[in-house]
Amino acid sequence: MNTHFCGSSEHDVSRRAFLRTLGAGTGLAASGIGAMHSFATPSLNDTLKASGKSVILLWLAGGASQLETWDPKPGRPTGGPFAAIPTSVPGVHISELMPQMAKRMKDICVIRGLNTKNGDHGGAAQLMMRGRADEPSLRYPDMGAVLARELGRTDSKVPDYVSFYAATEGRDFSRQGSSFLGARYAPMKLAESMVPPNLKRLESITELDHHARAELQQLINNQFIAGHGTGPVKSHANAYARVHGLMSSETLFDLSQESAKAREPYGPTLFGEQALMARRMVEAGVPFVRVSRAWWDSHGQNFETHQEMVPELDRVMSALHDDLKQRGLLERTLVLAVGEFGRTPAINASLGRDHFAAAWSAAMFGCGLKPGAVFGKTDKDGQTVIEDQVGAGELFATVLAAIGVNPKKEYHVGARPIPLVNPGIKPITQVLA
Amino acid sequence: MPTDPAKFKVAKEVSRKDILLCLARVPETKRLFAGSSDGCVYHFDLAEEKPEPTAMEGHTGYVTGVALAGKQVVSGAYDGQLIWWDAESRAKVRGFKAHDRWIRNVVASRDGKFIASTADDMVCRVWDAATGKPKHELRGHATLTPSHFSSMLYACAFSADGTLLATGDKIGHVVVWDVASGKPQATLEVPEVYTWDPKARIHSIGGIRSLAFSPDGTQLAVGGMGKVGNIDHLEGKPHVEVFDWRKQERVAKFSGDKAKGLITHLAFHPQGEWLVGAGGDSKGLVMFFDVVSGKILREEMTSNHFHKFAMDETGTRLFTAGHNKLTFWEAAA
Repeated sequence: MNTHFCGSSEHDVSRRAFLRTLGAGTGLAASGIGAMHSFATPSLNDTLKASGKSVILLWLAGGASQLETWDPKPGRPTGGPFAAIPTSVPGVHISELMPQMAKRMKDICVIRGLNTKNGDHGGAAQLMMRGRADEPSLRYPDMGAVLARELGRTDSKVPDYVSFYAATEGRDFSRQGSSFLGARYAPMKLAESMVPPNLKRLESITELDHHARAELQQLINNQFIAGHGTGPVKSHANAYARVHGLMSSETLFDLSQESAKAREPYGPTLFGEQALMARRMVEAGVPFVRVSRAWWDSHGQNFETHQEMVPELDRVMSALHDDLKQRGLLERTLVLAVGEFGRTPAINASLGRDHFAAAWSAAMFGCGLKPGAVFGKTDKDGQTVIEDQVGAGELFATVLAAIGVNPKKEYHVGARPIPLVNPGIKPITQVLA
Repeated sequence: MPTDPAKFKVAKEVSRKDILLCLARVPETKRLFAGSSDGCVYHFDLAEEKPEPTAMEGHTGYVTGVALAGKQVVSGAYDGQLIWWDAESRAKVRGFKAHDRWIRNVVASRDGKFIASTADDMVCRVWDAATGKPKHELRGHATLTPSHFSSMLYACAFSADGTLLATGDKIGHVVVWDVASGKPQATLEVPEVYTWDPKARIHSIGGIRSLAFSPDGTQLAVGGMGKVGNIDHLEGKPHVEVFDWRKQERVAKFSGDKAKGLITHLAFHPQGEWLVGAGGDSKGLVMFFDVVSGKILREEMTSNHFHKFAMDETGTRLFTAGHNKLTFWEAAA
């Protein structure tokens, strides 16, 4: 099987392409606006970067049903056939399809009042990934790119942003990008394999040669930097160091390094394996990992689809929770489960549910969040948000705030200040620890 | 005189706000018991000019199976319960948790002695209809699909003489059981009704949704939906295969060319003149098949998806239960 970092040739990043992109100093906003200098040393928040914080996004592509997960409406005409079960948080019920997460609810934070107003796959996916709609002349960087920039360490030998998207459906709908942040913060996309291609040293080059070349290159760079000391040259050297780091971190992408006991809780599916890989990555210091589980778009047979997929989500999400907790990583890792929208309360004639962005849910746990918090409320049929409505921007800002990034921070594209979230958008303080 | 499928016309419709998922008919009448998405079983008498349904409350989930055994009605639901009701008084006789997971179908042997229930615990249980006591626990279906997801046991059907019982699951596996002994007699594979999409969407759709024995018990019809490209929708062709099950040979195969969706119910004409199936996608379909010639006699699309139907003793009347509607079809004389 041909392996790519990404299904889109526009974003294909092999080891060599990764280096070429970094070295070229291009990879800028599609808008034509003068981009941030991609070689400029980021304005480091050294304390934050040193904290090793990470975010894992479980991207439920296609739109999972809130009614079959986090906001059940049993007994209502819209409720569907699944029962609601009590959780470890008194008074909070979730779908019976999630018994494992129900037990862990005291550690989970649920947002039940999302109204994101966009029921189109592509537009909604971009909205949820970027926290706002693009402007005609400006594409915003997505959550992964922002966090890669804010949390990634220049001396890191691992990628700052990794994205798994195995299914072909919807891969282009949620096209990710670093936009004006530059290619330095673009995702390493892993589509058909969990291992980047060309990771291994060429057999024609000996290990000794490989190291000798790196040392020579570093020596020349250091001499040049000593004489000139410019940001771009330092960044160039960093780029080479990161590629060498990648090549030396081959075992990072090797799940066989995990014991059978460690692998079993995640289950045998690809989603489970990718979630375990995400844990390995945050443990190794990758700031942002997106694990996509597609495709939830259940216009027909919604209940059959959710009966198949939600138990898998329940198993994988609970395994990830337990694994992070047992390894002491939960204090520095935030896990967010969300897609581009939810699904209609109305049940159509195919026993399906259609796209619905007016009243749906997301779930989070980990770093910076108030455990057991449930924020927002929908009406008895799940048609509208009746308390504490929030949008994509507030969710985006909440993730930033929880992980320690000030949502009010501004980037500058040329002379224009670009805040991380739109003006007036605030994090949901009620769910922050 | 064989009943001409072309002569079936809609004679009466009853609109509903709920989804009617299953149906049983009182012999020699137009009285029906239908299971609903609201957790009730409803009694209708379509002989009334404006039928006024009466509700029988007891389930806490979608009622997906209802069968008439003598003077008792037995219903099964996604709550895992089986409930026995008195068909005349509509009073609850007994009820208990019969399965750990969703009950998908409940059928009665024609002599009214046995009830069979299938569920997503992948067990078919046979019950003494008079007492509610278990007779057999039939296990012949894998609990997981080859892709490691939970399977479902959607369909079951008794033969006309009540000696055989067939069960069919999500991945297309059929088992024919001897009712007296509870032993499997044969297995069949119908993989075309199950679509696992490993690349685009990484989940599945389909399954065996309907089974029917021919009147003499020699043939078994299996219904579902053919392979699907986009499994977001029920866009596959309705699919039926008929087997000489003892020889494990397929004798006919039908694939609709107009309608789309699942064949959720199948029944042979009482004299075996034809086979009829119903189901659909967002719309409904009714199809008549000639098993001997292998031809589709009629393929009719309707406005509402059908989940189950009942046919009268003469093969001239059909009663369909579906999305927001109960429909009475009659073959004009």
